[in-house]
Amino acid sequence: MDAEAADVALAQSGDGSAFERLYRTHVPRVHGLVRRMLDPGHADDITQDVFVRAWEKLHTFRGEAAFGTWLHRLAVNVILARRKTLGGERRRFHEDGEILESVSGRAAAPEHGVDFEAAINRLPDGARQVFLLHDVQGFRHEEIAQMLGIVPGTSKSQLHHARMALRKYLDR
Amino acid sequence: MNDQWTDRLSEYLDDELDQPQRAALEAHLAGCEVCTQTLAELRRVVGRAQGLDDRPPATDLWPGIATRIGVSTDDLARRRVRRISFTVPQLIAASIVLVAASAGVVWMLSRQEPVSAPVTSVPSSQARPVKWVARADSSGDHAVEELRLALQEGQRAGRLSPITVRKIEHSLAVIDSAIAEARRALEVDPNSDYLNSHLADTMRLKMQFLREANRIATAQT
Amino acid sequence: MLYFLVAVAALTQQDTDTSFAVRQGQRLEVNDFGGQVVIKAWRQNSIRIRASHGSRDYIRVSNVGSTISIGASSRHGPAMVDYELLVPAWLPLTVSGSPSAEVNIEGTDAEVSVETVEGSIRVVGGKGNVSLHTVEGSVELEGASGHIELNSVDGSIDVRDVSGEITAESVDGSITLLDIESADVDASSVDGSIEYDGTIKDGGRYRFQSHDGSVSVSVPERANVTVYVATFSGDFDSCFPVTLKDKTKHRFSFTLGTGTARLELESFDGSINLCRPGQIHQRED
Repeated sequence: MDAEAADVALAQSGDGSAFERLYRTHVPRVHGLVRRMLDPGHADDITQDVFVRAWEKLHTFRGEAAFGTWLHRLAVNVILARRKTLGGERRRFHEDGEILESVSGRAAAPEHGVDFEAAINRLPDGARQVFLLHDVQGFRHEEIAQMLGIVPGTSKSQLHHARMALRKYLDR
Repeated sequence: MNDQWTDRLSEYLDDELDQPQRAALEAHLAGCEVCTQTLAELRRVVGRAQGLDDRPPATDLWPGIATRIGVSTDDLARRRVRRISFTVPQLIAASIVLVAASAGVVWMLSRQEPVSAPVTSVPSSQARPVKWVARADSSGDHAVEELRLALQEGQRAGRLSPITVRKIEHSLAVIDSAIAEARRALEVDPNSDYLNSHLADTMRLKMQFLREANRIATAQT
Repeated sequence: MLYFLVAVAALTQQDTDTSFAVRQGQRLEVNDFGGQVVIKAWRQNSIRIRASHGSRDYIRVSNVGSTISIGASSRHGPAMVDYELLVPAWLPLTVSGSPSAEVNIEGTDAEVSVETVEGSIRVVGGKGNVSLHTVEGSVELEGASGHIELNSVDGSIDVRDVSGEITAESVDGSITLLDIESADVDASSVDGSIEYDGTIKDGGRYRFQSHDGSVSVSVPERANVTVYVATFSGDFDSCFPVTLKDKTKHRFSFTLGTGTARLELESFDGSINLCRPGQIHQRED
């Protein structure tokens, strides 16, 4: 039995210290996900929301998948729910090459100084979400489709568009 | 260059093409430098994504989280008693460690010092698994009594109808009956993985139910 | 902040009918103290409120930030109102009924959260996070997709034609899940039966657990699934042949196809039944 499984078990039984250890282990990645999927200004608040919800839902964790996988999935649900309450324009998923041209065109000149992370932030919402969930977090297209309310085919095409657009920022 | 081959490169990279599609694309790659270069770049994008630096937040968020979930890690022995005491889970945490295995859930006795000061004494390492149930029961009875008082108060204050109170009490009786059956079975076969995990699951359900029922009983309209 | 009251002057039962525009990014919260809440989706970007209530009750509509809240008050506290709301399909909905509300939502294409103590909940539609909780009353959900959480302490849970991750819990009610498309289902009841007829996807995870109730699950013919069965004194029955392995006193398992999905069937005291899609009901006849 590894230390994390023991901490999960203790936390499920109400042990706050164990849950704190889980928090310390996973907060960098969760905070990174929140920061990239939403914006740095709300990242702290929403990261707190994620861990509070994880505590409330800990009893549903059965142990078949890694705890981190379960936690990141829960984080995505919290993020998507908060996106709607934070307002902002409703973005649509694009099916054509519009994304590729819009991001690549703006960043054609290296002197703009856009690094890789900044380029991710400049992707349209749909492509950014899919890219973060698939390539950064490791979710499968079927899972992403369910979470975002799209079909797996759209998830695949968004991912491809995102990757193609980000090629130019590999060395920054 | 956007063409049918370029558009499939990500799926190829992610091993999502079937065998005929994969073979056709590989045959194309053998003769197309542009696509080969693009594939290499996509691979690097994925590599960069997987290597993105994650740093903890500048501010320690734990104090705020601990306050919101109602735990204090400074001194668990002096934990405030909340309206519904969670002495049952504390007790379980002091005496057992839950192990998740691929074939199911197994309860084992912990042989380590407890992380927090338990409400009652820590069992000896030679204690049989069913003894944790008896200790959990004594704390559970206290929590149930607190709920009964909360339900009475909720009814008196007009927040809960008599029907709702009876339903909550009935549901608690259903859960207790299930726990009693599982306990009787476990006393006959104390080493059964299934019975231990089933009883633990049902007791956990009871804790959730008590928490939710208390929230309903004390909620203000 | 927009805040207005719809005051009622008549001395008899009153109907209120008012509308106002809403914009993308907003969400709706409705609080009811004991009436009916009927919400239907329409194509307009506005909310229409039709309410039946006592003559001295006020319907309150407030708009704080991105949240529109609808509730009612009387001189003596919260008021009991029957609402019929027409809302945009894209508008996320939160409905709470304390102590009670009968909730009926149709045609929504957005997130739905309903919580009531007494009262049944019926939702047709819903996308994203769908959370329906009641203590005393049934829960019905149809045509939803996304992350689904359903909870009824003392009532049945009935789910049809739903896709996504599903968690359903009841203490004393049955759980019926039909025409489900999902790779992640978790249903548990203490005293109620559980029935599932839906996909068993490769790599999926499915758990059905009851203490005293029967567990009946359909497994499609080409499913690739490892089935884990656990019971204390219940029976196991299968409509098709299986080869048991890893048999202990209370547990056994078997594999169908490549076994990539995981299906856990547990009933302490009730029967566990496996059949092909559509056959579960035939067996009960």
